[in-house]
Amino acid sequence: MAPRTLRIWAWVHKWTSLVCTLFMLVLCISGLPLIFFDEIDHATGNAIATPAMPAGTPRAPLDAVVRAAVAQHPGKLPLYVFADEHDPDLWLVKLDTRVDTDEREAVFAAVDARSARVLGTPVFNEGLMHFFYRLHVDWFAGQGGRLFLGAMGLLLVLSIVSGVVLYAPFMRKLEFATVRRDRSPQIRWLDLHNLLGIVSLVWALVVGATGIINTWADVILKAWQAEQLAVLRATPGAAAASAPARDGAVQQAVTLALASRPQSRLHLVAFPGTLLATPGHFAVMLAGATPFTARLQEPVLVDAASGRLTQATPRPWTVTALQLSQPLHFGDYGALPLKLIWALLDLLTIVVLWSGLVLWWRKRRRVRAAPRVAGAMTT
Amino acid sequence: MKGGERGLWAIFRWPVGLGLLTMIGLLAALLGDGPWDALSWLLLAAPLAIGVGGLLRASGSG
Repeated sequence: MAPRTLRIWAWVHKWTSLVCTLFMLVLCISGLPLIFFDEIDHATGNAIATPAMPAGTPRAPLDAVVRAAVAQHPGKLPLYVFADEHDPDLWLVKLDTRVDTDEREAVFAAVDARSARVLGTPVFNEGLMHFFYRLHVDWFAGQGGRLFLGAMGLLLVLSIVSGVVLYAPFMRKLEFATVRRDRSPQIRWLDLHNLLGIVSLVWALVVGATGIINTWADVILKAWQAEQLAVLRATPGAAAASAPARDGAVQQAVTLALASRPQSRLHLVAFPGTLLATPGHFAVMLAGATPFTARLQEPVLVDAASGRLTQATPRPWTVTALQLSQPLHFGDYGALPLKLIWALLDLLTIVVLWSGLVLWWRKRRRVRAAPRVAGAMTT
Repeated sequence: MKGGERGLWAIFRWPVGLGLLTMIGLLAALLGDGPWDALSWLLLAAPLAIGVGGLLRASGSG
């Protein structure tokens, strides 16, 4: 590579890294406990258990579940209903003051699927884990904070790519994985930075890129909703008027949706007006039955007033990317060993960031000291 | 390749190999459960082990 090209790549690597490193260190550190969110939740006794009942106990209609949740949180409106990830007999209902909020003040009710009794009100927006979550997601600054961290993620990707380009000239005379311990600390840090950076390369790129996509979740879902509404408006008779849902409407929507796609499982019910639905429809999100298709959800729209089923527009590729970006960023799709691997790779990434910072600082000190030494020599 | 200098392939064959293992490992757990998860752990452990090995050597205990 021409020396000039090399200098440009070195400049790109230095500045993209310097700008994003502190933010990335915060993301790596705050992300570490978040990998084990479920385990910590269970260990601290925050998890809610359903009472044992005979197998085959009939389930309460979903409308009764929602009614119980609303009674628990008077004045709030239901946004979403979904089953607990580990306990299919537990429904979680998310509520807020309006259906179109940013959900930062949302509350939850955990309702027994069989008795429709409220078993607890899980609180996700306070405590240490929530602090880490917000530090990881938006720096307590909402959508602006999210997009800012996404931009830092883009710098990280640039820094990784330029780092790979610079890896070649450094390794011209070295075997892979060489750590020169008999040389100066500077060289040892450099070898470590190069080795850890190159072995964690693909993982860091995947977690970085999926993290960026996750910061765009709101934008992606809103665009899909707009597309959905445009199609509905263009279809005669499909656009539903906003009307309060009748009793039984939730259960009916789910029953109809599941009957229309017998191979699917219920993932979530979105109430009319929320980000996943339309102002006049429930969106029943259905997931596939295989481990892979379970990650991908497709909505069925059900008119809230008439109970009529409407074919939703197919999921655009942006939403597919978003849905796949969640497991690939969280590392929660391969049981506990995968989470441990995620944590260890996260720690390696912290060393890469830190060693990069140390290398920059030492070099800078040396460059600053050099002219003074030269000056002392001449006097 | 001239004396003592390594070509691009010599420099990048290990990183490319580990990158492929990582990529297959990341996808395996997404495609299935059980044995697929185990395959994923095994493949992702490779870059991790080499990284941890380097870290131990650099800190002087390996």
